[in-house]
Amino acid sequence: MAVLFGITLITFTISYFAPGDKAEAIAHARYPGDFGIAPEVLQGIREEFNLNAPFFSQYTHWLADVLRGDFGVSYSSRTSVWVIFVDNLGETVTLTLTSLAIGLAAAFLLSAVAVRYPNTIWDRGAVIISSIGAAMPSYWLALLLILGVSVYLGWLPAYGTGTFAHLILPAATLAFWVMASQTRLLRTFMLEAYDQPFIETLRLRGIPEREIFSRHVLRHSFVPALTMIGLDMASLLEGAIIVELTFSRSGLGSLLAGAVLSRDLPVVMFLVMFFATAYVVINSVIDGVQHLCDPRNIKKAKAS
Amino acid sequence: MSLSQSINLSDSHPADPLRQFTKRVGVATLVLLGLWSLAIWLTPYEPAAADFLNRLAPPSAAHWAGTDHLGRDIATRLLYGAGWSLGLSLAISLTGFVVGTVVGILAARSGPAGDFAVMRVTDSFFAFPELIAAVTFAGLFGPSTSNLVIALMVVSWMKFARLARALTLNLGESDFITQARLNVLSNGLILWRHLLPNILPSLLVLWTNSWSRTILSVSGLSFLGFGVQPPSAEWGAMLLDGKAYMQTAPHIMIFPGLAVLLAVMVINLTGDRLRDLMAGKT
Amino acid sequence: MQQSKPLISVSNLQVSVGDKPLLSNVSFDLNEGEMLCIVGESGAGKSTLVKALQGMMPGHCDRFTYAPSSTEVCGAIPAGLGLDQARWVMQDPLAALNPRQPLGRSIAESLHKEKLPKDQLRKRVLSALDDVELTADFYDRLPSQVSLGQAQRACLARALIAQPKLIFFDEPLSALDALVQKKIAQRMESLRRATTTTYIAVTHDLGFAAAYADKVLLLREGTVSAYQSRTAFFANPQSDYAKDLVAAAQSLGALPEAAA
Repeated sequence: MAVLFGITLITFTISYFAPGDKAEAIAHARYPGDFGIAPEVLQGIREEFNLNAPFFSQYTHWLADVLRGDFGVSYSSRTSVWVIFVDNLGETVTLTLTSLAIGLAAAFLLSAVAVRYPNTIWDRGAVIISSIGAAMPSYWLALLLILGVSVYLGWLPAYGTGTFAHLILPAATLAFWVMASQTRLLRTFMLEAYDQPFIETLRLRGIPEREIFSRHVLRHSFVPALTMIGLDMASLLEGAIIVELTFSRSGLGSLLAGAVLSRDLPVVMFLVMFFATAYVVINSVIDGVQHLCDPRNIKKAKAS
Repeated sequence: MSLSQSINLSDSHPADPLRQFTKRVGVATLVLLGLWSLAIWLTPYEPAAADFLNRLAPPSAAHWAGTDHLGRDIATRLLYGAGWSLGLSLAISLTGFVVGTVVGILAARSGPAGDFAVMRVTDSFFAFPELIAAVTFAGLFGPSTSNLVIALMVVSWMKFARLARALTLNLGESDFITQARLNVLSNGLILWRHLLPNILPSLLVLWTNSWSRTILSVSGLSFLGFGVQPPSAEWGAMLLDGKAYMQTAPHIMIFPGLAVLLAVMVINLTGDRLRDLMAGKT
Repeated sequence: MQQSKPLISVSNLQVSVGDKPLLSNVSFDLNEGEMLCIVGESGAGKSTLVKALQGMMPGHCDRFTYAPSSTEVCGAIPAGLGLDQARWVMQDPLAALNPRQPLGRSIAESLHKEKLPKDQLRKRVLSALDDVELTADFYDRLPSQVSLGQAQRACLARALIAQPKLIFFDEPLSALDALVQKKIAQRMESLRRATTTTYIAVTHDLGFAAAYADKVLLLREGTVSAYQSRTAFFANPQSDYAKDLVAAAQSLGALPEAAA
């Protein structure tokens, strides 16, 4: 698709114009130590990496490499970018999935209770919590949690990665955000499902309210809710990165931050492209899923 | 007796809820701005005035929010910080709003080829999540306020373009626009009188959303070190300062975060109200 | 009252989009002050005809004359917006009015070309509002603050204020309820008589045609099924399809009196 092509172009442009002499960066990575590099060596590196060629020539070379799966070698650590990526991917995925699971479960529960008992404290509470959650800076919540749980109570470690205990606070922080934003959506969906005419028919048939709720309303809101999550993928990824950086966890977020600050361009370029591409792909998938789900939902409604 | 006399909808001068709401919001904003200026003028402290004898003091009568690690009054810094956090994000989101709207309308009004080209470019930019773009840009080009602002501006206009384009396309088919064309109204006049007033409300709702998200981004990035640098009194930067003294002086990190939360909530709620008003009407 | 030259006349109009013919072999003529009712089912091409006559859809004919602008066209009807001194009242008044603009300004827009000074403009609008029996305070109301009938009256005012020679109506009453329909139809009729304006009204309501039309043009799937004077059409329909339609309307009680 044209968009993917545009992504590569933009990414490459950014790295092309990034300040700092690339040849020097490569040289310092190759020959670690704090001494100056001889000009001939720099020249040699420039030729080796094609750094003297005009913009488009460099771009096409780089693109060709990328399409072949060769993402280059990190400037700072001299390991393949791909390897570094895979190493850090796991942590981020763990964090994201855990938060997603907890947050969704909490959101589902909260909105179910809110819709089931409308205008009670649960309903009001749910609305308030989702408003707060949407406005809450996640890094602040993270700090508060660290203060309360780690520093005062001493129950959980604050920074770093490694054990399951290390995962709890970060996951809780991210999950709160997930819960807040999804509660809002789910509640709306459930309310809509409740208003459907066929619900009234079921009531007239004498089916108890509880069963109406659990079997029909809940089930019908489940699928559209899932698809809505995909739309907020970008925010979820961003949130994960912030959480990682705040808690000093290892993962793609810290990797990106570190690479950016040390001008490790191959890593940066890869990560940027990865996030952008992932976002585009996920959105396309969600679009497709939405199309599939719509007629199915209607059929279900007719059947029951 | 004519039909219109027998059906009388409203006796008073017609009240447009949208316009009323806008007026109220405008007045409230002006009042807030006035109070803020007043507070800055009244406060006896300077945001950068260090007072090493009074470091890390908890909130008291002298210092309503306490002092930070350099002895600076936090309450004053919060006030100045509003200028940073809110002002920067306002500038960023407004730019995105204007640029995006213009691009969107242009895309909708140019032929299929132009539309396609513009939208492909928009989509390409769209793919980069805000934070990642900002981190990358600020990191590569050196963390600073201006780099942060540039980076965020570059990634904030696309959603406006998309929405403006969709709304314009939708509206272009409308009957009342056909009528206006039949009456030989110039394109500019149609744009000004018929198109803009009808697409602006939705775009404004999106803008409030954008502003609050940008506030979170600006303070978040500053907190992570990629944006506004200390000693500026930006709320995120203040949080960064406070992080190191979490144990001994937790108040340093509580207030700035609270400020961000409140500001974003107010803006969100206003946007929600605007959205509800529009849904009630159209 | 017969004029020597009809206000508008069309001979063998064809409209196609791509290779799909929407209208073929449509002919009629209309004198000043007369009303032509174009009737037929949905999709028969009624709206297409109105649009084509105004140059808004690609039309091709043997001959097309329009007296107010002394137009005489053989072949492709020039693409353009509207006919000189003609106005168009559309089906959905709420779609035809800018929701963010007061009715008075929407009505005044009809005179945009004339560039009148403000106070004169306001007087004309108030007079137009009066013609359609809307009080002056409707000048400042938004479309969302008035009923459908009142909004449609405003659209009618917008058409009338320009004192056009020809007004196109596209199902002007179908969005309204029965009582209101009758009132507005009567108003339309009395205004037409008073100003000798020519009306071309698209409608699927045979009762309306039976009450007010001078001529009836029945379209079926893009072709003319009947083209007769009102009396002739209802007494002795030209085609079998027309016969069925008239009979159906009669049995439903939709027609006032079948004969002259």
